[in-house]
Amino acid sequence: MKKLLILAIILRLLLAVFYFHPDIKTYNFQASFLKKGVFNIYSYLIDNKKTLTLKEEFVYSPLTYFVLGGYQAIVSPILGNRFDTWLANAESNSVVRDQNVFKYLLILKFPYLILDVAIAFLVMQFFDDKKNKEKAFTLWLFNPFTPILIYVFSNVDIFAVALTLAAFLFVKKQKLFVASLLIGLASGFKLYPLLFVPFLFTAGRTLKEKIFLGLTPIAVFGLITLPFFSPAFVQSALVSGLSTRVFNPSFNIGLNGTIIVSLLAISVLFFYGAFINKGQSLLNLWVGVFLLIFSFAYFHVAWLLWLAPFVVILIVKRPALSWLFLILTILAFAIPVLYEDRFMTVGLLRVYSTLYDQLPTPFSLLENFYDPYNLQGILHSILAGGSIVLLYKLLNKENT
Amino acid sequence: MTKLVWITTIAILFLVFVAPALFALPIDMLPANDQPGYSVNEKVSIYGKRMISQKFTSQADNLSAIGISLGNPNLKNKKPIILSLYEENNSFVRTSVLNGQNLEDGDFVKFVFSPISDSNGKKYTFTIVTPEAGAEEVIYVYHTKTIPDWMEWAKYTDVIELEVEGGLPFVTFHKPKSKLDVVKKVYSRFLLGGFQKP
Repeated sequence: MKKLLILAIILRLLLAVFYFHPDIKTYNFQASFLKKGVFNIYSYLIDNKKTLTLKEEFVYSPLTYFVLGGYQAIVSPILGNRFDTWLANAESNSVVRDQNVFKYLLILKFPYLILDVAIAFLVMQFFDDKKNKEKAFTLWLFNPFTPILIYVFSNVDIFAVALTLAAFLFVKKQKLFVASLLIGLASGFKLYPLLFVPFLFTAGRTLKEKIFLGLTPIAVFGLITLPFFSPAFVQSALVSGLSTRVFNPSFNIGLNGTIIVSLLAISVLFFYGAFINKGQSLLNLWVGVFLLIFSFAYFHVAWLLWLAPFVVILIVKRPALSWLFLILTILAFAIPVLYEDRFMTVGLLRVYSTLYDQLPTPFSLLENFYDPYNLQGILHSILAGGSIVLLYKLLNKENT
Repeated sequence: MTKLVWITTIAILFLVFVAPALFALPIDMLPANDQPGYSVNEKVSIYGKRMISQKFTSQADNLSAIGISLGNPNLKNKKPIILSLYEENNSFVRTSVLNGQNLEDGDFVKFVFSPISDSNGKKYTFTIVTPEAGAEEVIYVYHTKTIPDWMEWAKYTDVIELEVEGGLPFVTFHKPKSKLDVVKKVYSRFLLGGFQKP
């Protein structure tokens, strides 16, 4: 296992250094203001939009700002005095040609490596026998998907992912209150774990416990965000494009009324868990919530990490489902590749050379033959179909 | 599980060491320069007989395209946009035509023509016109004062010729000698001898 871990770390360091997604620069630019004494990053970015070189708002919850900003402050002697200039540089070519870019990428992605390895050890804790522990450890470190999600796409969601995984470890140990606390803490990094709050409500045995479990994550999230609560925070983090995208797809029921597709699907799952199959495993419901979101919303590739460690656990528990999981994972990766976004494909190679700017994206290549949106729709529909079948299998037959 | 370890190890090594070379193979033009920065507020409008011309010295052999950002306000121009290339003695050498229909406002477009093999160090002038466009179908050509020393200030002709304050933010593209040449360029940054401009 030690050898495997060393190999996994080497492979991850290679990906971390050679692949660049511009998001890592954007959110680290924003987090760099912590060193300069900025407390409320949400209003600061909006108030100073005119003078800042990068105009994006901070779309994450406050803990992401404080953890990234705090980490930057600690490692700033290693990053050097040109780092802040690099972060603020809006000129896309000189950013990737900077001779320090490899060092910056390595250092900025280092916390992800620590959490990634921590997740490998956490997934082992879901099993009692040595064989399954090793399986889970190996499957986490050596599936080809998660290293890409974490290091190629510079996925800052890993903070929330590690905390939600820890939360489910406490669910396994029947310590539901601690699990609720951790879900709340995770939402302090990114909003998505709050989607699970209604399901925590169903887990309580008494009404008091139900209310307690359901309200704890909201209270923790409220405490974390209270000092920042302002129109700027609401606009940037709560109703930002990424947050609302989950609830965007809807169909009209007349007189301007709509049914929100993903919310409808999650509600079905909730009522099923609350009234029909009351003993349902929370882990299955958690996976179910995100399978439904990926099925019925225009998801970002980075979101796939939310589910990744739980998929590993389920595959080890129920090997019969591994092929279905594999097919759905390939589909879920293929859809964002077809987005009209250079940084889903060829743009990621810009650290090697800006010559790749001349390559067309799969979207524009496909445009010559077929409507890429149509193909996205076809793949997404197949993903949704497969996900519903997977969810059915998860909820109905524990041992298949 | 051993299989999985092998597959993932090979996949990641492939992504890091082989994929960049594979993706470099379809690249059939190398830019000689970065596009100079420009402001969308500094522009001239082109239609009918209005013409913009730009003199420059080619920085490499096999000149095969000129890339430039053009404005197409409200996407109204759906007419041919013609780039003509002349040698120093004003003799016509190449032309390339795009259609405004395919031009989004602010797009960076390439006027591609057959390569000029011995172009390195030679002076050329290109002109851009959209003769069939009316006053409602203008295209914008941006200009900037920050230009490299191998470009001259552009000239704008509307009945009389005037000097534009600055040059056009364009890029010249050159056909590589071979595919291997492109692959070498991609990896050149990591070769011994320090960091090189990729």
